[in-house]
Amino acid sequence: MRFIAIFKAVTKNWLRSRTGLFFSIMFPIMMIFIFGSIFGGNNYVPTMTAAFIMTNGIIGLTSTNTEFKRRGIIRRLSITPLTKADWIVGCVLSQTLLNLLLTGIMIGIGWIAFSVRVTPDPLTILMIFLGSVMFSGIGMALSGALKDVEAASAIGNVISYPMMFLSGVFVPLSIMPSTLQLVSKFIPLTYFSDGLKAAIITKSTGTTLFDMGVVAALAVVFIAAGVLLTRWKEK
Amino acid sequence: MLEVQDLVKQYADTRAVDGISFSVNDGEVFAFLGPNGAGKTTTVEILECLRPLTKGAAHVCGYDVTRENEVKEIKKNIGVLPQDYNALDKLTVRENIELIAEMYDKHLEVADVIKLLELEDKANTKFENLSGGLKQRVGIAAALVSDPKLVFLDEPTTGLDPRARRDVWDVLTNLKKLGKTVFLTTHYMEEAQTLADRIAIMAKGKIVAIGSPQQLIDKYGGLKILIIRKADKTLADKLEDKFEHASVDSNGDVHIKIENTDEPYQIMSFLTQIKAERDVEIQTPTLEDVFLKITGSKISEEGEAK
Repeated sequence: MRFIAIFKAVTKNWLRSRTGLFFSIMFPIMMIFIFGSIFGGNNYVPTMTAAFIMTNGIIGLTSTNTEFKRRGIIRRLSITPLTKADWIVGCVLSQTLLNLLLTGIMIGIGWIAFSVRVTPDPLTILMIFLGSVMFSGIGMALSGALKDVEAASAIGNVISYPMMFLSGVFVPLSIMPSTLQLVSKFIPLTYFSDGLKAAIITKSTGTTLFDMGVVAALAVVFIAAGVLLTRWKEK
Repeated sequence: MLEVQDLVKQYADTRAVDGISFSVNDGEVFAFLGPNGAGKTTTVEILECLRPLTKGAAHVCGYDVTRENEVKEIKKNIGVLPQDYNALDKLTVRENIELIAEMYDKHLEVADVIKLLELEDKANTKFENLSGGLKQRVGIAAALVSDPKLVFLDEPTTGLDPRARRDVWDVLTNLKKLGKTVFLTTHYMEEAQTLADRIAIMAKGKIVAIGSPQQLIDKYGGLKILIIRKADKTLADKLEDKFEHASVDSNGDVHIKIENTDEPYQIMSFLTQIKAERDVEIQTPTLEDVFLKITGSKISEEGEAK
């Protein structure tokens, strides 16, 4: 149960970090302003949410965690009986809480300014939760395997931008060549964004549950990969 | 408490630790003294199970550092202040100590540890707003909160100003009274001399001398020196004639190496006899002399051998 202590400590740390929190909040707000002004309505909300949760996990959490590593925070904790799994799960849950809060803020602003009429039901919240766990898991695996902050955020960018385009977040998959449509089937963001779309827009529970299953399975895989890739012992 | 035999740590083309053997007894304060790059931290980090060893054997609290299932037991039994200690910036002193406490099944009351380290006034201050000396004290508190059998303190006062350094020493002296076994690394002679029961002097990956500060001084420190201040040329000549080991320095002070306990009295009565009373001083050798004698170098404030 040590992950609860980690969750609490890491969460408190970002809640009190004003600049970090400011930019975390500004990013989704900026997105809703851009997308809301261009499209209006509800249709872009699921893909946009999926995209920012992905970047928060793969780019944001990766650099936070690498920074913890650089400053010796992880090293200090690694001398205690804390396990790698507890550390990773605690950090992933903390990032997930942040993502849920940010999504709430974003949709709230959407209601006020851009006639977004999305009321998240339990299924949607669960989907956001699982998607966030999955991408935070990728972030933890990346930063566990990498030593320096620059490399971590560079790789985060390299992974997330192609994913954004290849999963139909910005460009509808239907207008893409068939090879790219096939590639999109192998991208985690596709399932998260499709699942959210099904939960929020089309309200088709069957599709949501299928995508949710894929996302949940991938979440487990990435967290396990994080535990395996993270090296606490130095050379 | 701790047992090391023929420990070797080899990196690609450097041998950071070159076959050292030593042990640390229950309840003693043991210090590694040496310049940067001597292999102190590498050794300590192997004992803390942070790095694998290349060759040799090391047991901490009776457990083998190379066996994964025994490492768990070691982690339960040791407390560590790592080099360049840092904690979560936005958490308070109390919250940071609590976080470490929560990693253990059994731990001391956080409030008691805060009191022990005299951090009560700062308990609700965020870590990022603390001075270097206070950060180190938080680090020591975190190292103690699990009530460990063995405490590792890796360069606890490096980079602190003299005042903060003394504060940390006071804390560590109290720790000694609690009967904790402490393993300290330092490049400050005074720190080792003030705090340690036994010192291992390290240079270039090897332990070059080991013993209590007094034993080391007796063995390697050389002779005591009696200094006669402001001797004029005639007096200096007389002293040099009379005493074999006398020499004059550039300030006009005469230094006489003392070979036996009678000698100071002989010198003093000689001075009275020739009516040449001067300020005199007896200089006892220090660890610095020991270090210079053994390694041929001194250690700078920054820890470099020179």
